[in-house]
Amino acid sequence: MNDIKAKLTEHIKANFPGAAEKDFKGENRIDFSIDKEFIPSVLTYLKNTAGFIHLSHITCVDWLEEGEFEMIFIIWSPTDKLKVFIRTRIDREKAVMPNIDMIWRQANTYEREFREMFGIQFIGLKGAKDFLLEDWEGPPPMRRDFDTAAYAKDAFFERPGREDALDVREEIIKRSREEIPGFAKKYSR
Amino acid sequence: MSFFDLKGTLKPLTALKQFGKKPHTIEYPKVKKEAADRYRGFHFNDLEACIGCGNCSTICQNAAIDMIHIEGIEGINGDSGLRPRIDHGRCCWCALCVEVCPTGSLSLTKDYLYVSDDPDSFLWVPGIDNPEGKNNLSFTSDEQSLNDFKRISMPELEGMERVKSFAEVVLGYNEEQAREEASRCISCGLCTEACPEHMHIPEYINAIATGNDKDALRIIYDNNPLPEMCGKVCTRRCEDVCAIAVRGEPVAIRWLKRYATETAISSDITREIVNPVIKEPNGKKVGIVGAGPSGLTAGYYLALRGYDVTIYESNAKAGGATMYGIPKYRFPIESLDKQIEYIEKIGVKIHYNTTVGKDITFDKIYKESDVVFMGVGFPKAWTLGIDGEDAKGSMQAVNYLHEINDGEEVEIGNKVAVIGGGNVAIDAARVSKRYGADVTILYRRRVQDMPADWEEIEGAEDEGIHIVPQAIPIKVIADKNGKVTGIEYLMAEMVPDERGGRPKPVAIEGSNKVLEITALMGAIGQQADYSFIEGTEYEGKIKVERGRIVVNEDQQTSDPKVFAGGDAVNRTADAISAIADGFRACKAIDKYLIEK
Amino acid sequence: MREKATTLYLGPQHPGITGNMMIRLKVEGDTIVKATTEVGYLHRAFEKLQEQRNWLQSFTLMCRFCVPETDPMEESYARAVEAIEGREVPERAKYIRVMVLELARLASFMLWYGGQNGSLGLYTMGQWSVGDRNYILDLFEELTGGRVYHMYIWPGGVRRDLPKGFEKRVIKVLNYLEKRLDDYDDLMFDNAIFKKRTQGVGLVDKKTAIEHGVVGAVLRGCGIKSDIRIDDPYEIYDQLDFEVPTAEGGDIWARALVRRQEARQSIRIIRQVIDQMPGGAFYNQIPNPLKWTLPKGDAYVRTESVRGEIGLYLVSDGGNKPRRVHLRGAAYVHAVSLLEDVLIGENVADVSAIMNSLGTCPPEIER
Repeated sequence: MNDIKAKLTEHIKANFPGAAEKDFKGENRIDFSIDKEFIPSVLTYLKNTAGFIHLSHITCVDWLEEGEFEMIFIIWSPTDKLKVFIRTRIDREKAVMPNIDMIWRQANTYEREFREMFGIQFIGLKGAKDFLLEDWEGPPPMRRDFDTAAYAKDAFFERPGREDALDVREEIIKRSREEIPGFAKKYSR
Repeated sequence: MSFFDLKGTLKPLTALKQFGKKPHTIEYPKVKKEAADRYRGFHFNDLEACIGCGNCSTICQNAAIDMIHIEGIEGINGDSGLRPRIDHGRCCWCALCVEVCPTGSLSLTKDYLYVSDDPDSFLWVPGIDNPEGKNNLSFTSDEQSLNDFKRISMPELEGMERVKSFAEVVLGYNEEQAREEASRCISCGLCTEACPEHMHIPEYINAIATGNDKDALRIIYDNNPLPEMCGKVCTRRCEDVCAIAVRGEPVAIRWLKRYATETAISSDITREIVNPVIKEPNGKKVGIVGAGPSGLTAGYYLALRGYDVTIYESNAKAGGATMYGIPKYRFPIESLDKQIEYIEKIGVKIHYNTTVGKDITFDKIYKESDVVFMGVGFPKAWTLGIDGEDAKGSMQAVNYLHEINDGEEVEIGNKVAVIGGGNVAIDAARVSKRYGADVTILYRRRVQDMPADWEEIEGAEDEGIHIVPQAIPIKVIADKNGKVTGIEYLMAEMVPDERGGRPKPVAIEGSNKVLEITALMGAIGQQADYSFIEGTEYEGKIKVERGRIVVNEDQQTSDPKVFAGGDAVNRTADAISAIADGFRACKAIDKYLIEK
Repeated sequence: MREKATTLYLGPQHPGITGNMMIRLKVEGDTIVKATTEVGYLHRAFEKLQEQRNWLQSFTLMCRFCVPETDPMEESYARAVEAIEGREVPERAKYIRVMVLELARLASFMLWYGGQNGSLGLYTMGQWSVGDRNYILDLFEELTGGRVYHMYIWPGGVRRDLPKGFEKRVIKVLNYLEKRLDDYDDLMFDNAIFKKRTQGVGLVDKKTAIEHGVVGAVLRGCGIKSDIRIDDPYEIYDQLDFEVPTAEGGDIWARALVRRQEARQSIRIIRQVIDQMPGGAFYNQIPNPLKWTLPKGDAYVRTESVRGEIGLYLVSDGGNKPRRVHLRGAAYVHAVSLLEDVLIGENVADVSAIMNSLGTCPPEIER
């Protein structure tokens, strides 16, 4: 296992400039971050040459604070019993990714979802614009700055009958006339 | 496959062999199916056991649980008075509310059918709307609870090791232990009501749990300028009402406060972290009699509000009873010094060794100041009132502690008896033990009736102090030189009080026993010393009743210019109540002087 | 003469499918020339909701990703959280988990028996298997307190220990089901109608399977031996003795044969687990859930469900809530792009049977 890992690591580093290995111990997994331009070529290499024929997962994480999306491709080699993570970071504002659905047709579904849910454009992606949503015009809802609670409050009405709900802490504060300074309130439950 | 598959046509017909067999899933006549013992049906809440902590409402990921007022349930100390109501339109029956309920009052029942014509009947108050649920409980938190009932134990010096010196017994949590202990808290806030000072307990504990010790310290200093003292010796009534304490060990609120304060190792660092806003001087003067907890608190917060504060203290050090009444193995002097230093750095002036009525008249302070605050405490001990009490070697525990804390040496011999069951008695006993004496505590009632902190009682027992409960002293025996040699006492039996009070000790005739001793310490309570106003015009103006200064809810005495707090005013006689008095007085004084 | 193409809207209800999805078909006569899946009837934004719930609250949502087989999701979530946190799971909990997972597989096979036959108009099978599934649900009710949504496998172990005598009752149900599976064979696999309707229908060849990242019984139905429980073992699967059945052909029939064997393998696994069940703790308690934080990190875990491999990617940013939860069910792979490709050239009457055979589960696609 370690041989295979080392060989693969070496090969990827040699052939794809900027590929950085992420340390991950224990599992049968190796983890690379790479520039998004190399994504199609590294995946093609892994699929066609290295035996990583199974596309297990594609995912996207919104790192709002860093202004980036992280795209992660998880592929699996049934012969080597090894997972490879290929990650790349893209700019959140100009979120554009190369399309890989010619490598695995399956990727098309993921890409359609990310286009809709995160607003990521995949160059040359075909498929209906609407996937899970219908006639959605708001911001892509899986982005972390989309406030689901506020949306729900706007879109739906509260069923009457629960207005008398009280907050335990507030109730006790009222009773004992405690005065909580503003900065402490974020630590209340 | 041939065009006509004979086997494939006939084989399915074997299903006919089932014909006439007893059906598996439907029974005639219809039998009502009993749900399994763990079935997650409707909620039931034992309203008596529920304390309204609201943890169920917090954990509910569907926001299906509201806390509401129920007629007939009043909020008292340790009970918010609110009870959960479930919105069954939102409930997903995950039963996390049951698993996090600290009291175990909330359970699920085996009922799973409910039909109603009324579309608004989806709101239920469990326990009120289904009282029969009590007999039908299924999913409970009896076997398994998500509350962490076990406290992180506090590292301490070992019992026989600690009697060798006055080293601090409790060693304090380290960072990891503090985070772990803090994360047991469910942030309900019931404790804040029990705290006389209403400290913001859930907030600072949460700050510790999330690793923000500095914020914790800032929150603590919002209404307590002596938190390190409280963190070490507070009577911590908050822990009595902790929601976790219903079925487990309360969150160590006191030790967590101690941890937070110990992260600031000097008064400068404290100031840097707390970084309080000090208002521009407003030119108004406040004179404070006594640098005990109430006086220091009033002084500190008044100084922050721009007042010119001067405290007059008869002793050489500030702190009052916390300085002179508490042994140093519980509350080291460096720890107190650090806090006093900090308060002085904020701008509070303290005149030490200045006894009001002797070194300065009360009248002078009264006339020079816009407002006077009195935090004079209970410095004088009650005497035992038995024969031979004035023998040599018979003394008052509080005086003994005072002298020891002052660095003096007191002759006590090697056999000491302490009379009383409060913290002063235990303190005097444990100090005597450290001076090599064999110590016995005589107490009128049972050990469980002792007003002292249970940890102190345990600590005393660990150190090898004998406690003789139900013992009523009747006579002090002295030798011909007038030196105490023994104490004679009667054993008592506990007689239930007919009026419903706590059981009373009644002496058993003829059970006389004599304990040989070299010193005797009385610790049955203290009283005030108002000699500084006796015989002056203020004696009438400041009303005193049964030894206590009379104040209104703003700590204002019958003289509107004089405020008072601490042991001489309240009935609880502990440091945190004194701090509360001081803080309340500060706000009232501020209001009084602004309105004037 | 070429027949005129018509657009046909099939669904959103389908026989034997849990959940709703629509397929827009372009048909010439009875033959499909183009299929477009339209999902979106069931989007509940669970993954988004989980980002706003703490680590424990999130657990209650996991089982709702797919109704017929809820436990693999719970197990994935628990295992991912444990991987990020480094939390130990007691040995007994692992055995109980495997037992629950396999019972869930059995229950799900029962639904599949009903659904697959129901979609072909063979309704007796459904009456039988769904009725027999109730015995498994009774076991779940006794063990977990819920029949369908168990919310039982959670981070640190399982929620409650086995009730007294539970193993015996499981064995009793297994003995009964084993006999019943033979009855099912008479009705299903020896049935001329079933054979005729399934052989050569809904073909997925090896190449297509890889292009589409196909998993589970669909992959094994193309003759590829692949099972997460063997390839990337979790819990205690590496200590158990069981076979991974395969079949050649890649049609509905081949997949049915695989599932037929798998149901028997599940029974075999449960028997082993009960035989080897160790004592001891069943739960390594998590801290107070309101203040429970996980260290920074991510985990990708895979679990073999009846529909195939499901993958859960979980990210923690060091806080008390998940940064990202992304569950990719087997239906996500099978029932969108693959289904669209497979349906081309098929008969309209076979669409439901093909959907069922591919393990279509719309709630799992939309989440």
